[in-house]
Amino acid sequence: MLADLSEHLDGRLGFDRAERIDEHLAGCAECGRLLGEVTAAVRALRQLPDEPLPPDVAERLAEALLG
Amino acid sequence: MTADDARVSDETLIARTAAGDPTAFDRLVRRHQAAVYRFARAAAPADDDAVEILRETFLAARRAASRHRDETSARPWLLALARQAIDRRRPRSREADLTPLRELARAAGWQSGGEGAIDESGPAVEAAFAALPPEDREILTLCDREYFTVDEAARVTGLSDAAVRTRLHRARLRLLARLREDAHGG
Repeated sequence: MLADLSEHLDGRLGFDRAERIDEHLAGCAECGRLLGEVTAAVRALRQLPDEPLPPDVAERLAEALLG
Repeated sequence: MTADDARVSDETLIARTAAGDPTAFDRLVRRHQAAVYRFARAAAPADDDAVEILRETFLAARRAASRHRDETSARPWLLALARQAIDRRRPRSREADLTPLRELARAAGWQSGGEGAIDESGPAVEAAFAALPPEDREILTLCDREYFTVDEAARVTGLSDAAVRTRLHRARLRLLARLREDAHGG
């Protein structure tokens, strides 16, 4: 069960395996909560804004590629 | 990227770069430099110079442009070149992560009886992500920030598909554990 949580979250499990996990989750509060929290953490990570390229890095790179 | 830039595909820019067009190369660099920078900052130890990794990545891309295959998207191709630049500085440890999964899950709050909430705010997640080891930041960047497929992440890292899945799962659990630790002053 623990090994399949991420695969389940990403929808990569086959139908039978996913169904067995859902059955387990329905009766196991601990695993259900862990899946909920992993899902929330991944969602929050995905929503972080992209760090822009610092202007000095862009300048240094442009110079380095010219040289 | 300007609207004009967006009209030209990566494949066209790479083909023109291979033909020696410096403007196309410049546009390719500008289009992907921020993503390569973010990947370098995530996957390389903090004291590695990100600009040097960027420079080596794009010089390698210019040299290899004629061998680029159309079926490979530009972004995974560039990040694979960045991965090689990082490896040249500091060969990666090939040691497997042997931490038992149950131990990782417990650190993430499994079987804790539901005690304590985690802080999922942007600053908290950013801090937790930054505190993870480079291997975890790398796989999370590829799969949960760049939205690469398992196959694309495997191509960048040189890992098998199965190893990518395992590493991603473990990295997510460590991210959650770190959030829990930060929220409860651990």
